[in-house]
Amino acid sequence: MSKGFTTNYRIALLASLVLTMFAGLEVRLVWLHVVDRDELLRSVGEARRQLIVDNARRGDILDVNGALLATSRSIIVLGVDPQSVRSEDHAKLPELATLLGMPLSDLERICATKTRPAGLAAGPKAASSSPAMTISFGPAAAAEAAPDAEPAKKDDTELDDPDKEGNRPIRWAKLSDQVPESVYATIGKLGIRGVYGSRAYRRDYPHNEMAAHIIGYVDREERPVSGIEHYADFYLRGENGWLESERDGRSHELAQFRTREAPASDGFNVYLSIDTTIQHMAEEELVGIAAQYDPEKATIIVSDPQTGLILALANYPSFDLNSFNKLARADQRRMRNIAVADEYEPGSVFKIVAVSGALNEGLVTTGTEFDCTLEKIDYNGTTRSLPREDSGDHFDHPLTVAEIIEKSSNKGAAQLAMALGDRRFYNYACAFGFGQRTGFPVGGEVPGKLKPPEKWDSLSITRMPMGQSVTATALQMQMAMGVIANGGMLLKPQIIHEVKDSHGEWVYKFDPVEVRRVISEQTARTMARLLTAVVSSDGNATEAAIPGFEVAGKTGTANKLVPFELPSGATVLRYSEHHHVASFIGFFPATLRHKGDRQVAIAVIVDDADARCPNGVAYGHMVAAPVFKRLGERLIPYLDIRPQIDNEAPRALAMGGAP
Amino acid sequence: MRTGQPSGTQAFVNQFLVYALVAICGSTSIGLGTVWMRHQISLSANANKVLESQIAGLERRIEEADSAIASEQDPAVLNRRNAEWQLGLVAPAETQVRRVPDDVVMRLAAKHNRTLFGGEVPATVSFRVALVH
Repeated sequence: MSKGFTTNYRIALLASLVLTMFAGLEVRLVWLHVVDRDELLRSVGEARRQLIVDNARRGDILDVNGALLATSRSIIVLGVDPQSVRSEDHAKLPELATLLGMPLSDLERICATKTRPAGLAAGPKAASSSPAMTISFGPAAAAEAAPDAEPAKKDDTELDDPDKEGNRPIRWAKLSDQVPESVYATIGKLGIRGVYGSRAYRRDYPHNEMAAHIIGYVDREERPVSGIEHYADFYLRGENGWLESERDGRSHELAQFRTREAPASDGFNVYLSIDTTIQHMAEEELVGIAAQYDPEKATIIVSDPQTGLILALANYPSFDLNSFNKLARADQRRMRNIAVADEYEPGSVFKIVAVSGALNEGLVTTGTEFDCTLEKIDYNGTTRSLPREDSGDHFDHPLTVAEIIEKSSNKGAAQLAMALGDRRFYNYACAFGFGQRTGFPVGGEVPGKLKPPEKWDSLSITRMPMGQSVTATALQMQMAMGVIANGGMLLKPQIIHEVKDSHGEWVYKFDPVEVRRVISEQTARTMARLLTAVVSSDGNATEAAIPGFEVAGKTGTANKLVPFELPSGATVLRYSEHHHVASFIGFFPATLRHKGDRQVAIAVIVDDADARCPNGVAYGHMVAAPVFKRLGERLIPYLDIRPQIDNEAPRALAMGGAP
Repeated sequence: MRTGQPSGTQAFVNQFLVYALVAICGSTSIGLGTVWMRHQISLSANANKVLESQIAGLERRIEEADSAIASEQDPAVLNRRNAEWQLGLVAPAETQVRRVPDDVVMRLAAKHNRTLFGGEVPATVSFRVALVH
């Protein structure tokens, strides 16, 4: 038997050697893990730990049919490191210039300029000053973006190292700040050394000018500035996520060391009540108005009076959402949502208040007659002068209430308001929504001016019923007309239809909001019937009539208040005979015969179109009513608004009867 | 006196060395296994990262395509294309529309029935029925 390969001496030597080694190892381990632990952990943490922000994607804004109105898409801020461009790469520059859409000479100059004289501002900061809003460091994007991002970091350090002559080498010069992903992929295939980009998200508005005042925009820092972008930012912006990880010496993430991760929650998608097609129709009409009359401004609103949903809201002038920052200061008024931010004297359309109030109170019937030839009238113990009729109309017989609306008699409207009395007339005006904001969420809405009776002068009760001494926004007028269309309820105008998450699940749905009942259903029906006479052959707005449909509406031709210089040199505001706001606000079908039938209300308001009108006066029936008719006729097939014909389908057809 | 049997100390040392070798081999295997496992974890993590990156890239391309599609579907662009390509497409006028006031299903059924019978009056068919008690 072997006694073993070792002796006591050798055993002792080997054992002591092993023990010494273990002891040394343990001492070192203790030193590292106990004595230097905090210091080492700190330095490792600084060097390797990183918190990567996962930017949430901002939600989209869509129309009622799901068409994109605003979306976020990534773009590449592309640059070149002139130091890295090889001589063989110069042959590829023409193709690169074509892809970027820039002159070849410019590209060659950028690539050839390798230094910048000391003292000039450094260029490479261009990456951070690009219009792109947020550089994505998402977990998914990190791996792909890292090779691109790394040279940019080098670039910053190398700039601080001027050569012997004091010139600073250029390590990054911007070529384009809006390179699409697909183009970037093509550029990558060219294999030009030194051409690289950093990825960023940019808000994109595919329809450019369409519904610009409704959608609004976000600025370069992705801060919402106006419109739905601002109002619905809570839904749209989402919540950034983060993950804790480590990186190697080249700043590449070591995915295996990811510890904690909170995924980003993308923003919700906001669906508007706007219909892109209807919005386009309205904007086309505005373009036509602008070409024909060159007005100061104009507004068209299309809504569903049964729900208060706005189907289209278009303003002239407007602006392109994709280039809002290129607007000159003088043109920035284009960004104003004049439908809610500008007020005007509504003119004869306001007569619906006095007539509705008097009918609703039972003070008059549609057949009650008023003498509309009077110049003065006694009211509350004093004699008040009645306003002149428009365009010198003279009525040789007393007018019924129906005729007052049909002929748009100012004297008749004044007498109806007097029948109501100051307070009741004021209350009805308030009930119709005047003098208060509608609650429309975008555009910086103003309440308009409606003075209480205590502040009226002796002419107020005669002038306000015809739409003077009171101001309103276009949207207020639209909603007031909606009261008559929907049976007497004032509804809140709604622009957001619903909110869905990125998976299409409902988050919030905006239902119609009834503000108050203004008039009874019976009164509303009567008013609708009276307003259909306005577009009849005997009315003053036959231009708005649509064959086969009952159209109800009212024209307005309001004199504008313009500065007038007195002989004394003082300036006062006076009603001008040469500047008017022409409007037609109406709806059709005037009566709904079947449940589920569509009805639309349309407001056309054109400000100061007099210059190109015959006789120099822009009448509502002349400027606005034809637009109402054209727009209405285009909406009929699109919205499947059916002519009002009685038809009870013979069920026997199924048995083979005649068609 | 020497015998073939190792002394107690030598036997212990022999056993110790054998166990030490086994322990070293074992721990080495465990260590190598751990390193291999961590390497695999690293590979998997990086593979996942690459996949995530590819998915994100595809999503970005989809977003870009969606945006381009939305731009092309703009009514103004469609109108322009209609003119450029001389398609002559126009919106239907109300006069072109024939309204179908009755139930469409019933109408189609009627049409189908007319087709079946060819517009002729169906022949009278009589059955003789006998009652059996």
